[in-house]
Amino acid sequence: MAATRTLTPFKKLTLDALQVGEEFVSDETLVIPGDIEAHSYAVEDDHPWLVEGLAPPTFMANQALHLRHSKYIVHAGLHARMEFNFVEPIRVGMRVRTRGKVIDKYERRGKPYMVTEYVTEDDTGRILVRGQFTQMIIPEPEAADGHAE
Amino acid sequence: MATQSETAVKVGQALPSHVKDVSQRRIDVYSGVRPRSIHSDEDWARQKGFRACLAQGMMSTAYVSQMMVELLGLSFARGGTMSMAFIKPVYAGDRLTVRGVVKDRQSEDGATRVVVEVWVENQHGEKTAVGHASGLLS
Repeated sequence: MAATRTLTPFKKLTLDALQVGEEFVSDETLVIPGDIEAHSYAVEDDHPWLVEGLAPPTFMANQALHLRHSKYIVHAGLHARMEFNFVEPIRVGMRVRTRGKVIDKYERRGKPYMVTEYVTEDDTGRILVRGQFTQMIIPEPEAADGHAE
Repeated sequence: MATQSETAVKVGQALPSHVKDVSQRRIDVYSGVRPRSIHSDEDWARQKGFRACLAQGMMSTAYVSQMMVELLGLSFARGGTMSMAFIKPVYAGDRLTVRGVVKDRQSEDGATRVVVEVWVENQHGEKTAVGHASGLLS
């Protein structure tokens, strides 16, 4: 008998659809040298990270920022604030994932915002980075920035 | 890499600034290339009223992290903090300067935590991101 697959349902991200307390989890990412080289090139960071077997502290930040894409169709967004607490270095060869939880949503000057608390950890559950970030939700009709984050 | 010694870091001290040329290619590598993205689709960005593609705000956190690692070494990756607000768009082709000034030294479990006010400004002298970062002197 064929196994039943559970497909992830996606819905459009709006302030109404989003629930405070809602949780997200990313896919697992293997930290590979090529991705560290690419990151270093992108941000012009000449620190010898690979010689040390390490990744830059903010290396996995986009894994956190994109958490809401794991449940929602995000027509557009803007990144307003970002906080990091660096707990342990991210090392080459680690398998890393990020978990997040919506801790607040609000409107300010007519614009909807969401606040997400996140933890990035390795596959043993050891915490590497934790923090929170604030993103603006831009409704589809007035979206100004495509897939921006 | 040589980092600052315990006594060398003083309140009011300006950290060596970093200049970053934010090219479209670097944005593409950082954010990936997708249609209907203001980071990588210039036509789309113009349709939305921007003069060029935008860099992710997160790139500025990487710049600040680089400056803090130069100050504190790898201890920034174990016990470091950063809080940034993104207050103005950064466009492809912008030249940014990343700056920091030591604001405080705090005792913490027998060590010293250095608190740095950090900001990023564009070629017009406009601040694009502001915040603070901290870490333990090793």
